Amino acid sequence: MRRLCLLLSPRIWGFRNGLSNAGGKSRKRTFVMVLVGLAFWALLFGLSFRVLKYFQSVEVIGDVLAHHLLGMILMVFFSLLIFSHIVTALSTLYLSSDLELCHACPAAVEEVFLSRAVYTVMDSSWMVIVFGFPVMMAYAFVFNPGFGFYFSLLHMGLGVTLIAAGIGILITMILVRIFPAQRTRDVIMLLGVCGLGGLYMMFRLLRPERLVDPDAFFSIAQYMAALQGPDSPYLPTHWMTETLWAYLSGSSGKEALFHCGLLWSTAGALAVINVWVAEAIYFSGFSRSQEAKRRRAGKKLLDFFIALVKWPFKAEIGAIIDKDLRAFFRDNTQWSQLLLLGALVVVYVYNFSVLPLDKSPIRIDFLQNEIAFFNVGLAGFVLSAVSVRFIFPAVSSEGAAFWIVQSSPVPLKRFLWTKFALYLLPMLVLGEVLIVLTNHLLEVTPFMMALSSVTMFLAVFGIVALGVGMGAMFPNFKHQNIAQVATGFGGLMFMILSAAFVALVVVLEAGPVYVLVMAQIRGIPVAGWQWFLIVLSFSAVLFIMVAAVYKPMKIGLKALSEHE
Amino acid sequence: MPDGSANSRCRSWTIGMIKLIHLTKIYKGLHAVDDLNLEVKEGTLFGFLGPNGAGKTTTIKMMAGILKPTSGSILINGMDLAKEPQKVKQCVGFIPDRPYLYEKLTGMEFMKFIAGLYGMDHARATEERIHHLLDLFDLAHWRDELIESYSHGMKQRLVMGSALLPRPKVLVVDEPMVGLDPRGSRLVKDIFMEESRRKTTLFMSTHSLEVAAEVCQEIAIIQAGKIIARGSAEELKKAAGVEGSLESVFLKLTEGKRIAHATPLSASQS
Repeated sequence: MRRLCLLLSPRIWGFRNGLSNAGGKSRKRTFVMVLVGLAFWALLFGLSFRVLKYFQSVEVIGDVLAHHLLGMILMVFFSLLIFSHIVTALSTLYLSSDLELCHACPAAVEEVFLSRAVYTVMDSSWMVIVFGFPVMMAYAFVFNPGFGFYFSLLHMGLGVTLIAAGIGILITMILVRIFPAQRTRDVIMLLGVCGLGGLYMMFRLLRPERLVDPDAFFSIAQYMAALQGPDSPYLPTHWMTETLWAYLSGSSGKEALFHCGLLWSTAGALAVINVWVAEAIYFSGFSRSQEAKRRRAGKKLLDFFIALVKWPFKAEIGAIIDKDLRAFFRDNTQWSQLLLLGALVVVYVYNFSVLPLDKSPIRIDFLQNEIAFFNVGLAGFVLSAVSVRFIFPAVSSEGAAFWIVQSSPVPLKRFLWTKFALYLLPMLVLGEVLIVLTNHLLEVTPFMMALSSVTMFLAVFGIVALGVGMGAMFPNFKHQNIAQVATGFGGLMFMILSAAFVALVVVLEAGPVYVLVMAQIRGIPVAGWQWFLIVLSFSAVLFIMVAAVYKPMKIGLKALSEHE
Repeated sequence: MPDGSANSRCRSWTIGMIKLIHLTKIYKGLHAVDDLNLEVKEGTLFGFLGPNGAGKTTTIKMMAGILKPTSGSILINGMDLAKEPQKVKQCVGFIPDRPYLYEKLTGMEFMKFIAGLYGMDHARATEERIHHLLDLFDLAHWRDELIESYSHGMKQRLVMGSALLPRPKVLVVDEPMVGLDPRGSRLVKDIFMEESRRKTTLFMSTHSLEVAAEVCQEIAIIQAGKIIARGSAEELKKAAGVEGSLESVFLKLTEGKRIAHATPLSASQS
């Protein structure tokens, strides 16, 4: 036990030192992160509160809906926790750089395993708990349960987390037994991304919005059948849902103790099974993960594609593009996210095909054009979200090998603009596909089609430059995994600024677009002063777009030049 | 040069290939490099010794253009690194102590990438030079394997090959023997001496006094950011008043107080 505490101490001391050595800059960053986190909490709480209040106002089925929603939320959290534990366990149990030291210590395998399992639980659970807290508080505010609810929420939440950890870590140990650790990461990421993309598409194509519109169903029986989620009395989320619902609905909750017993005995059993399995296979898996494997690179198709992309560029630029594309397509955790992107585009376009425009009291032609216009903003936000994952980490993706670029005769300015050029074309294609396809589904006027396409075309330049420039302002060359870069302070700042940029463009264009669309629909000419304001607005948009390209790249270049 | 190497774009500067003038680097109040003055002539194999934390790597990183000096200047091949960074870097090959590379490239692709960065064309001569260097550093069999499957020593040899690829006039090397087996270490020493004969200037930091004694024509010892002695191995022994190995000289010179320079530094600071 003493050795187990010792093995845990580096994390605790590291956290304490991080707090005590945090400089002014770090404190400011933490402050901004906390502020944004609180705003997000408030938003999630407000949203959940409104939904639950609405459910309460629906007679007969209101409580059923709230009950099912609770079950679905817990089920989603439980699934996320399992997946998160699988991914994290791979790093903490097999790939962390400090593991060699731990295994060289005179500590038993189960002690090393348990200490790393604790790390895994800490690293995997906090985000789900943070997201879950405001939703559960919304339930508490709407239903006013007693103390038992809060107590059950705490201990059963912990129990469910431990069960998810037990399942996740067990799956990881078995996977590493079958594949080497490096390959397991790729397999998990690929399966995870495909699964997530598939689930997302399936969920959307089921059109869950119909559940709050019982008129859409032929009978109450059909409606109730549609409400049935994937629940089972053998699932830990079922035990937690039923216990919490007993407190929320004020029912007797006779089964609460039974469910608690089931939950904690399962958690305990899983912990014991994990230790047994770890004793049998953990160390051999860790040992195998240390062995280097010869990995030959697949080439032919990639060579042809890269030759095509870099053909118009000079040797220095071509070399960087060549390297970036090869690194991207050979990293399974990177290219597989394109599948998720594909699912996102399909669902985005599908949403527009099922818009109930005919049920709106507003004129359809006006509504179509207004939606098409605001779609520019929506697509802009989607592009920002894609950029924070792919473009913002572009500079950081050099990692510890950044010294090669720094010591080479290629100026950093050219290096940054090469990154810009590399991401511009795919982002332009993505932006225009989102706009043109949805406009086509909405059957908008040629004027709106042209305006939204051109606006998106120019906005993409700004979003890409913001991504590359801010990525250079907040580089992280010491990351273990490139996906971490987007979740830091810089990524958050990029999302805020990129969203503000898109919002500003939409706000500035809103007035002129309204005037022009109304003039077209009503057949009335646009007055001279209105033309003046229209020109002024579009000039301001153009100015902002130029500034959004120029400024971040300039500031990013300066920051990168001074990076030590 | 017909192979389009980077060296063909460097004009020749025979005297004082490397000049460090009042070079200073301060990190949060700590003088990592303190008013350093040094000149290294063309073709010299120059050893830069010092205890841990003396300022060797900081000096080398500034020379490679990775760190900005707080003050002072670096002249390489007659050009100021701060004023003409691209031209200077075109003439310099850098080998860091830790070989961080792009793990998802193959050895061959990495060499081609470096050729691209130095503006070398894809001519047959460049390809041949890449093959020659991979052969020389015993990596030919691994050229189509991803770098992520290379050992530390193989990565170190790949970095050395890539640094020599553009035929630099100056090689700046930080701890070259770390991670190399005796065969690799012998190979590297021979290559460095051969490069020196070809008039390439080598500026090399090392902890290995045997390496310094064996290959370096001139040695400087740095402590607390300042050069405390400079000269050939024999001159250093004489200055320290020590008979025997370079190790005894090093221990004597770095034991605390500063001693007289083996050769007056002012003589080399033109």
